[in-house]
Amino acid sequence: MQLTAESPPNEPRRKRGLLANIAHHWADYVYILPAILVMVLVIGYPIVYTVWLSFHDTPIRTGDHIFNGVDNYREILSSPKFWKTTKNTFVWTIGSTGGAFILGFAAALVLHKQFIGRGVVRAILLIPYVISAVAAAYVWKWMLHSDYGLISGVLKDWGIIDQNLVLLDSKDRVLPTVIVVNIWKEFSFVMIMMIAGLQTVPEQLLRAARVDGAGVWQQFTHVTVPYLKNVILITTLLLFVANLNSFTLVYLMTGGGPANASQLWITDIYNIAFRSLGYGLASAYSVILFLVMLAAGWYYVRILTQGSKRGAS
Amino acid sequence: MSSTTNASATAKRTYPKRRKPFRPNGWTIAGWAFLILLLIFTIVPMAWMISTSLKTQFASIQQPPDWIPDNPNLKQYRTLLNPNNELGAQFLRYFRNSLWVSTMTTILGLVVAVPAAYAFSRFTFPGKDALFFSVLVRNMFPVVVFLIPLFILMKNLGLIDSQWSLILTYLTFGLPLSIWLLKGFYDNIPPELERAARIDGATRFQAFRLIVMPLSAPGIIATAIYSFIQGWNEYVYARTFLNSEEKMTMPIGLQKFFTENSSNWPGLMAASFIMSVPVVVLFLMLQRYFVQALTEGAVKH
Repeated sequence: MQLTAESPPNEPRRKRGLLANIAHHWADYVYILPAILVMVLVIGYPIVYTVWLSFHDTPIRTGDHIFNGVDNYREILSSPKFWKTTKNTFVWTIGSTGGAFILGFAAALVLHKQFIGRGVVRAILLIPYVISAVAAAYVWKWMLHSDYGLISGVLKDWGIIDQNLVLLDSKDRVLPTVIVVNIWKEFSFVMIMMIAGLQTVPEQLLRAARVDGAGVWQQFTHVTVPYLKNVILITTLLLFVANLNSFTLVYLMTGGGPANASQLWITDIYNIAFRSLGYGLASAYSVILFLVMLAAGWYYVRILTQGSKRGAS
Repeated sequence: MSSTTNASATAKRTYPKRRKPFRPNGWTIAGWAFLILLLIFTIVPMAWMISTSLKTQFASIQQPPDWIPDNPNLKQYRTLLNPNNELGAQFLRYFRNSLWVSTMTTILGLVVAVPAAYAFSRFTFPGKDALFFSVLVRNMFPVVVFLIPLFILMKNLGLIDSQWSLILTYLTFGLPLSIWLLKGFYDNIPPELERAARIDGATRFQAFRLIVMPLSAPGIIATAIYSFIQGWNEYVYARTFLNSEEKMTMPIGLQKFFTENSSNWPGLMAASFIMSVPVVVLFLMLQRYFVQALTEGAVKH
């Protein structure tokens, strides 16, 4: 077969064997080769290695890898700390995602309307999302400081409280507090997604609903929300995963404390791996987390590919 | 909230010249109140960061707190930005390192992502769907899961304590989004344009370089600023991969500053502020592209 690699785009497909087909398209692969190479190296290899390592004991002194079956998994799943951490992670992820979603969606609904200064308001609201989580963690840590913090100081000054407010050092309040900070950091992501989504809702649909006697709230629940179903799903999923993976804010603000009251899966894994150097154990932990993600990921890709199929047709 | 917009739209349709008198209803008022509260919630931490950074250490711990510092001074900024004192030299080095890492990440990321996105948009080749799927799935992977094996990998490659380990990691983690984003832009450029160029004798690469690249400039800018900001802000990997003082990037430098001068809140706030300036300025200048980077793909269809 005399085939030139440089076939023009959209050339009709001819039937070939798989290998011949791949050979025919060798020039196409050149374009994606760099991407594939770095992804295999930085993503593919680590996944395989983590799974492999999760079935091994990795004593620090010798640096060996000793196969120990599912012992790592058993150790994690049977520790009471794991279940406490799981509960924290659950509260953190659901709380942050839900809070940021409600706040962000509400902001989008207000900002969807034209008014003077809308662009400025939108830009200001987006700044927390853009700045580093490190800077955000320190500013909030400073504002929430038990002795000199702004929040304690102002509330005392206004006579709302008479004693300093202990937030980050209290076992009961620490998790809600970091969730609020996290919502501050990421609600504008939802806002931006939903503004973009709202622009796609056809005005005729809303008008039709109005003609049928729907009020503002009914238009919202019966027209806007159903129309934006995909955008809502994707946004919450992305946020859910981001929160499940979020490390910096909690780690820098609380370090998982006090007494593990704000310990999350991610911070726990980090501590096991790099404080106690338990690579095997941390790997098993990562695999568990990874499986949870994979379930979410499968769902996410399904929504995403469905969306593009609909867009193409 | 939206009812007034709609009402005025209806009014405009029937009587184009006349505007409805401004009569806010309950939803509008609630919307405005909400927006004002949200703005306060957003701005207070940032305002407090700046306010504290202009105070002396003593003034910063006064209770009740002062919103506007009595004697605002730029002492902290002068110290941090002065290359001749030790702290300043250190801080400026972190800044330069961050700049280097983020810039290289952005440039190399584009070099890898642009051809790949183009191929995914234009060509059909065996395994394309599977490959594209695997690119997308990466978005879901927990970053920390990769930390242990990547640390070991970088150690084996001799890249621990080298900024190249960070550049390689950031650019790879940024790839799925970049490819997804750029593919969206290429999908919107009609292939007829290239075909015309090809008929005029251009090679496929020339058609790509002369026709497609200029048309996809917005996509490239969007991708670039997104990966720059990601690289600038990243903390976990920088903390894990870098050991020596002179290699560290801003987020780690800031943490070091905090542990070493834990009572110098004005200094820490000034450092946080300086660290935030480049990304905020970049974002404000190229806001449109950044927003596009975030929403593209999820909302388009």
